[in-house]
Amino acid sequence: MTRASYIVAAVAAGALLVLLPLLGSGYIVYLANLMLVYIVLALGLNILIGETGQFGLAHVAFYGIGIYTTAILTGRFDVPFLIAAAAGVLLAGAIGLLLGYVSFRMRDIYLALSTFAFGEAMQWVYRSWDAVTNGPNGMRIKPAELFGFRIATDHDAYPFVLATTIIIIAATVWLRRSRLGRAFRAVRESEPAALAMGVDVRRAKVIAFALSAAYAGAAGGMFASFSSFIHPDSLGFTETILVVTMIVVGGLGSIPGAIVGALVLGAVQELLRQAPSYQEILYGVILILFMMYLPKGLAGAVGNLARRAG
Amino acid sequence: MRRMKAFALPGLIAGLALSTAAAAFPIKAGQGTYQDPGITDDTIKIGLFAPLSGPARAYGEDPLNAARMWYEMINEMGGIWGRKIELVIEDDRCTANDLVAAVKKLVEQDQVFMLNGGSCSAAAVAAQEYVLRNKVPYVMLNASGDGALYPPTDYIFGGISISQRAVGGIAVDFVVKHFNAKKIGYINHDDAYGAWNLETAEYMAKEHGVSLSVESINPNITDVTAPMLKIRAANPDVLILTTYARPAALILKRAHELGFKGPIVLTVTGTANLKQLVENVGTKDAFANFYVQDVINDSPDGPKQRWIIDMYKKRYPDLAAKPDHPTPYMPYGVASAQTVTHALMLAGPNPTRESVARILRTLTFESGVMAGMISFGENDRAGQESSIFLKFDGETQVLQPGVYTSRWTYKP
Repeated sequence: MTRASYIVAAVAAGALLVLLPLLGSGYIVYLANLMLVYIVLALGLNILIGETGQFGLAHVAFYGIGIYTTAILTGRFDVPFLIAAAAGVLLAGAIGLLLGYVSFRMRDIYLALSTFAFGEAMQWVYRSWDAVTNGPNGMRIKPAELFGFRIATDHDAYPFVLATTIIIIAATVWLRRSRLGRAFRAVRESEPAALAMGVDVRRAKVIAFALSAAYAGAAGGMFASFSSFIHPDSLGFTETILVVTMIVVGGLGSIPGAIVGALVLGAVQELLRQAPSYQEILYGVILILFMMYLPKGLAGAVGNLARRAG
Repeated sequence: MRRMKAFALPGLIAGLALSTAAAAFPIKAGQGTYQDPGITDDTIKIGLFAPLSGPARAYGEDPLNAARMWYEMINEMGGIWGRKIELVIEDDRCTANDLVAAVKKLVEQDQVFMLNGGSCSAAAVAAQEYVLRNKVPYVMLNASGDGALYPPTDYIFGGISISQRAVGGIAVDFVVKHFNAKKIGYINHDDAYGAWNLETAEYMAKEHGVSLSVESINPNITDVTAPMLKIRAANPDVLILTTYARPAALILKRAHELGFKGPIVLTVTGTANLKQLVENVGTKDAFANFYVQDVINDSPDGPKQRWIIDMYKKRYPDLAAKPDHPTPYMPYGVASAQTVTHALMLAGPNPTRESVARILRTLTFESGVMAGMISFGENDRAGQESSIFLKFDGETQVLQPGVYTSRWTYKP
């Protein structure tokens, strides 16, 4: 692919994103909002697993922190939406920092299990802390207000969700190119080698945990801008696995991969709803085919094609 | 059809009468433009949804099949006011996000006139705000949906099988009247369902002047020894279980091991597959003094249910040939679809979403399916609040006399 074709593709994608609310029904815009949330979730998890090589499975717990913090602050304390969403990001990031600090010595399966346990514990908290989360009844989310404008529909929320996603993608690209981004990848490739190169491995891991959690918290705030309800059942291990699958299918460690993975898996999930009798089988077959024929994910496949073409 | 008529079928007869009246009515459905989407001179589009995949499929698939067969039957009889019902079916996967996506697709993409669906309460509640904002009449399929029914709204109607708030109160009413119980053990879940059914159980216990010893357990509990020991220590005359089937199996097993001899009553929350329940408990001896709640008007194989079973077998011969089909929840779908067709019929030849919702708010009819009338009211959006009880010995079910009705009412 030439530079010109990249530009054409980017312009086409941009035009589609801008025109989407004009052309699409509320349902389509709702799906678009949901997929943009998935993109931010996938980018966040990609920092931890794809970039830093830390197999954390608590991502959806932080997503929940973002949603509940935003919902509680706007609904009960009339805190302006943006401040509430920012508080969700900070709280998720802070708890992520703590989790990263506690678990930085763990690796591989032990890290996966301990973060999985944290995710399960958080879901239990969402389900059981009635006074705060409204427990198993689920919590209604007050419609967001931005600069005096009340977000009542998916169309209303779309510009905010899209803008936030673009900012987060830009920040992720910057992070990847930064010294910290290089430190993450050094840790992923070899901790002893990274140490030898002067990378503070512990610091890099803890920051990766915190950043990843903050991304999930941001995704939670975005979700709260267009959704009117959250239930603890939506914050379980199934959702975590979905986000993990997105970055694996997209291509671990790749920003375009995380984005495409989120879009593809989001679309596949929705399309498979039209084939209820076969969807579990089809979903499984799609994943197996990806693992067999595109082990480096969609990003790797596109890269190979580009190399062959040009 | 001839065979169906042989039975006393109040609901079917009501449906037939209304359909015939509508078909014969000189005013053909209004020609021209309609203010709401999903309706033409010849068709009316209804969005039908339930979990059709994943683990919750067992709760939704058969009620949806039942609703569909009712709509098909209405179409065969000429439709409603000459309009054929056009169904758009969606899988809601029993999750909040998927149900909201399904509802938005049905309303905005498929442009349905009204909604009929949902087997899972929490997921159904997630659509509340959207449905109310768009003023689309929404009749739940077999979700109890208490979270969206109280406080009542203008467009959402549920509890067609039964609301959870009715479940607990009815169970207490039954054990007091049937066993003359004074001390009642009560095991519920520590989730929304549990909280809802306990609310009315406490109300009815107070009304009858009896005591309630409550143990709330996690739905995923794996060892029920502690709650059962506490229940045994309270020495109740009777034990009510409002749990799901899996914890119920654990409790029955442990109650048998602990020598609990009093009657045990399992509410409809845990009766999806009684054969499986017996297998999970492992011994029929545990069912020596065991009763189950049901919300239909007869035992599942009783004469009053015959017409629904026959209709199902005729419509879905392949499905009916499968083991455990039709499922116990199947008939609920008929009652839910009846609610929709009755409202459409009564709304007249030119229905609007608003007029249908207005009819639904005060709709009362005998379904010929459920234990009590389907009835909505000023502060009541839960359609069905009665149940029957059957003695189950691990093999056969014997209908107990009486229909028990919840007397709890919502106070705004």
